[in-house]
Amino acid sequence: MLTVYKFALKYKWFMAIALFFMLIELTVELTQPYLISKVIDDGIVAESIDTVWFYLIVMFAISMVAFISGIMNSLFASHVANSFSYDLRTALFRRVQYFTLATLSKFPTSSLITRMTQDVLQSEMLLYMSLRVIIKAPLLVVGSLIMSFVVNPTLGFYLSFLTPILLIFLIFTARKGGQIFLRVQKRLDKINRFIQQNLEAVRLIKANDRADFEINKFSKVAGRLRDDTIYALRLMESIMPVLLLIINGSLLVVLWMASDLLQNNTIQVGEVVAVVNYALRMQGGFSMFAFIIIAFSRSKASSDRMEEVLKSPISINDNAEIVKENQAGSVKFEGVSFRYPGSSRYVLRDISFEVREKEKFIIMGGTGSGKSTLLSLIPKMYETEEGTIYINERDIKEWNEEDLRQVIGYVPQSAVLFSGSIFENLLWGDLEALESDIFTSTQKAQIHNSIESFDHRYDTRVGQRGVTLSGGQKQRLSIARALVRKPGILILDDSTSALDIRTESALWEAIREEETTQIIVTQKIVTAKMADRILLLEGGEINALGSHEELLQQSDLYRSIVESQTEGGQLDD
Amino acid sequence: MIDFIKKPFGHEPVLTKEDIKKRKDKDDQRRANDISGTLKRLWKFISEERKLLYSIIFLVTLTSLLSITGPFLVGYIVDNYFVPREFDGLGRILLFLLVVYILLSSIQYTAAFFMVGLSQRTIFKLRSRLFSHMQKLPVKFYDKRQHGELMSRMTNDIETISQTLNTSFIQFTTSVVTLIGTISVMLYLSPLLTLLTVTIIPLLIMAVAFITKRTGPLYKKRQKATGEMNGYIEEMVSGQEIVKVFSQEETAIRNFSDKAANLREITFWAFLYAGLIPKIMNMLNNVSFTIVAGAGGLLVFYTDGLVTIGTIVVFAEYARQFTRPLADLSNQFNQVLSALAGAERVFGIIDSETETDAGHIEDVTIRGEIEFDDVSFSYDADQEKSTINQLSFKIDAGESVALIGATGAGKTTVMQLLARFYETDEGEIRIDDRNILDYKRTAVRSQTAFVLQDPYLFEATIRENIRYGKLDATDDEVIEAAKLANAHEFIIELENGYDTVLEADEGFVSQGQKQLISIARALITDPAILLLDEATSSIDTVTELKIQEALERLMKDRTSIIIAHRLNTIKAVDRIFVMELGELVESGSEEELLEAGGRYHQMIADNK
Repeated sequence: MLTVYKFALKYKWFMAIALFFMLIELTVELTQPYLISKVIDDGIVAESIDTVWFYLIVMFAISMVAFISGIMNSLFASHVANSFSYDLRTALFRRVQYFTLATLSKFPTSSLITRMTQDVLQSEMLLYMSLRVIIKAPLLVVGSLIMSFVVNPTLGFYLSFLTPILLIFLIFTARKGGQIFLRVQKRLDKINRFIQQNLEAVRLIKANDRADFEINKFSKVAGRLRDDTIYALRLMESIMPVLLLIINGSLLVVLWMASDLLQNNTIQVGEVVAVVNYALRMQGGFSMFAFIIIAFSRSKASSDRMEEVLKSPISINDNAEIVKENQAGSVKFEGVSFRYPGSSRYVLRDISFEVREKEKFIIMGGTGSGKSTLLSLIPKMYETEEGTIYINERDIKEWNEEDLRQVIGYVPQSAVLFSGSIFENLLWGDLEALESDIFTSTQKAQIHNSIESFDHRYDTRVGQRGVTLSGGQKQRLSIARALVRKPGILILDDSTSALDIRTESALWEAIREEETTQIIVTQKIVTAKMADRILLLEGGEINALGSHEELLQQSDLYRSIVESQTEGGQLDD
Repeated sequence: MIDFIKKPFGHEPVLTKEDIKKRKDKDDQRRANDISGTLKRLWKFISEERKLLYSIIFLVTLTSLLSITGPFLVGYIVDNYFVPREFDGLGRILLFLLVVYILLSSIQYTAAFFMVGLSQRTIFKLRSRLFSHMQKLPVKFYDKRQHGELMSRMTNDIETISQTLNTSFIQFTTSVVTLIGTISVMLYLSPLLTLLTVTIIPLLIMAVAFITKRTGPLYKKRQKATGEMNGYIEEMVSGQEIVKVFSQEETAIRNFSDKAANLREITFWAFLYAGLIPKIMNMLNNVSFTIVAGAGGLLVFYTDGLVTIGTIVVFAEYARQFTRPLADLSNQFNQVLSALAGAERVFGIIDSETETDAGHIEDVTIRGEIEFDDVSFSYDADQEKSTINQLSFKIDAGESVALIGATGAGKTTVMQLLARFYETDEGEIRIDDRNILDYKRTAVRSQTAFVLQDPYLFEATIRENIRYGKLDATDDEVIEAAKLANAHEFIIELENGYDTVLEADEGFVSQGQKQLISIARALITDPAILLLDEATSSIDTVTELKIQEALERLMKDRTSIIIAHRLNTIKAVDRIFVMELGELVESGSEEELLEAGGRYHQMIADNK
């Protein structure tokens, strides 16, 4: 919990002020029963009207002081809690943005969302309530006890008699509560995750007519959440009645003993009244405990989950800055082997090759031969354990990630666009790009005319993941986005699969003219023919490397690929 | 100083005068209707267990009465035993008090026990209802909504309702009963003192009115801001790879900070106003305490015997007991408001129109004849040019057709219309000579297999993913389908074979392999109509050649429409449709098209 609540330290003075005002409120509250005993004993019983008036005015005045303090407390507490949650939330989001992909894959998106919303809210509430009532409640209890000792030590003793039992009970429920709420929170995560998948698979579910199947599955997930929540809440609901019973028991003891003391004339009636009143105030304090324990348990569970995020490794960016080099770059792999974090299977084995400046380099290979993985190593999406990669003749490990990625224009296999306008999406390539740069890029990517034909042109809204665009439009937009960057190294991961031949060949034509190094994964021999060299992968290893002609001679696999596409021709051939 | 009051700690005010006024103007009526409408609908979910609810209310009434009895007895003891110092029979009363206390605690727990069950069952029903409704919403609904925002309704909003349901019924009943109970006892004890104590009520009502007028709109804004933030997180996290390769982390963080700051401002004010209520309560509490003690003390002098010390003791306690339910009620009011804001958002989805299904044809075996008759369609109503424009064609049962054409020509849209993801704007689609609308949606879909452009696989084992096409498929059938799709080989090479769990965002299975699995998922269904949308685009051509045979076998004797660029695939079909800008420009067998020397001929020539 410490890591999370450290964020509140920044506001320690504000918190101190909030607590100060709270203490004033508390003091007033604790003085009241004492004053009422004075009204009874010194005023009414002693038959002194002036004394009654005096205490009346005092009580009224301190009520007002308490009220103003209360408002100030509210103001400061609200400021602290909201600033704290804002800081915490942005810190979490920042951390996630710098997660390595390996770390990110350990957290489902939905769970990260709950952490940044629900969990932050829980801690925020705990802090807020701490500054207002949570710290006040135990003080109220302790203060009431002390005051009752002041009023009458014997009665005070009887009143405090059962407090230890109370404490033991509270500690027990708090512990138990922490565990249960952690489980509830996990169940909630599951629900979130289930919905997320369901939303992504909308078409698939409809096409297979699986609505009922999904509803049934959801029922099970939601049912488990219901059962655990019921269990957790029932435990929490037991706190209040037990507390009440214990405190009321103490009150009975006090009354019983008071009757003895009164018989012996050792105490005043007003004193009994005051102690009874303190007992009832203690009851009020304790009744907040149930609430506190719930808030505390929930927030313990929540802060554990947030700490997990805050302590997960991020990509370390302490390498020296390198001046942005806009000219074409080079890439060199030396004995690189790679497996995904957490897997023992090698996806790439002993890969060595070099891509020279401005070379048009093609990577081919069967489904699952490691092409995409190889590409993802170039912008350092994953760290390599074995072998070395050089970008512009510099070991990739020495590169500052941001600088490295500045040099690279990457077009992934499935086009990911964000909700926003087309223009905004293109700006992702380079926030400072001029409109003219953007138009040049879209023209090269053969998408400018399509965009111009939309009703809102570049302001056309794109839904999440670009749902309203066709597959080919999405691919071309994502190519344009990479071109906006004017990259030294352009990487295309089979990103033209949904384009028709005409558009595609126009696109290659335009890209060929780019003065950059190009690394392109493709399935198509036509595209491959245009390249300077081709790297052929098979099962994560290099099968062959060379020009089209060389490969035709060297590689059976290559010949069979060529055959598969020329036999009877291919529409794209 | 004034600046500080206007913008404490630099928090810009987020409520406009209109926001506050809104509830006063004409909207007032509608708002009230909205609220009562939402309440009524929530009640429907609860009322299935209304007998249990009534029992709970009865139990809560009992506990409230018991908790009033406690202080009353204490006052009685002080007046009748302690002041006169007569202790005969005190034991009996104390024993009675003990019984009251034990009953109080046990009944209180019983009520809470049942209430927790009741409320969580209700929430479960609401959640399930929302989810099943979401399953029936048209694809169109999802196109323009952020996933995270929808998820927020399922969790954040429903959780708010859940927390309210858990406490509100009990709190509300307790408050009302306690309020009535205490005032009655107070009146019985001393009408004069009661009158003095209740003078604070108008003050209270004014204060509460002032505050709730502000908190209501604030809570609504807050729910909305949370939803938006949720949506943004979801998008940025699931698109994280793109954020990284473009080094746009800081942009994402900046945008996020804006959204989080917006939420901070709203919540600051919401907390501030809502937090005032207990403070005001406390103040009034203290004041009434003063009134009771002071005025009570004076009354002892002036009325001579009408007010006793015992009465003061009881009043001192009751003054608190009676302001507390008022405080609770006003606190409740806030919570209920935010729950209602949540409920409104949930019902907002439940109210969205589902896919209408006027079809009545159910148990029918589809032969697979497909006809488009003058069909037009646009994704957006205000789109100038239709995506599909007066498209007409006919495909015989068992025939296979390839759709080719430039991107954006409307090929995928044709498929989506056939799968009834969208309804046509104009014209008619017929299957086996009957309007597609006459069929129950499920009747058509259950006999159609659709391999989508982007293969989606669930976080589940490969086996479960393939079986999704046919839920009762045996393991052998699954393997058979995988073999046909050429997926078997790579699957058994994985560490856990068919039991490999596919997790989001991990790279164990490549894009092409995902396509193979999704083909296997389609193969297992044995459909009458087969729709393949770029089903093999990420598969290498050698593998594709291998599954080609399987696909050809599959296309035999069933109506198939495929979208592909590779000639191999295209050559295997009976007819080719060339599409352009949502219209059909050429159709015929390959030879016919080559002979005609039109667009298709041009395309082939382009590549030579």
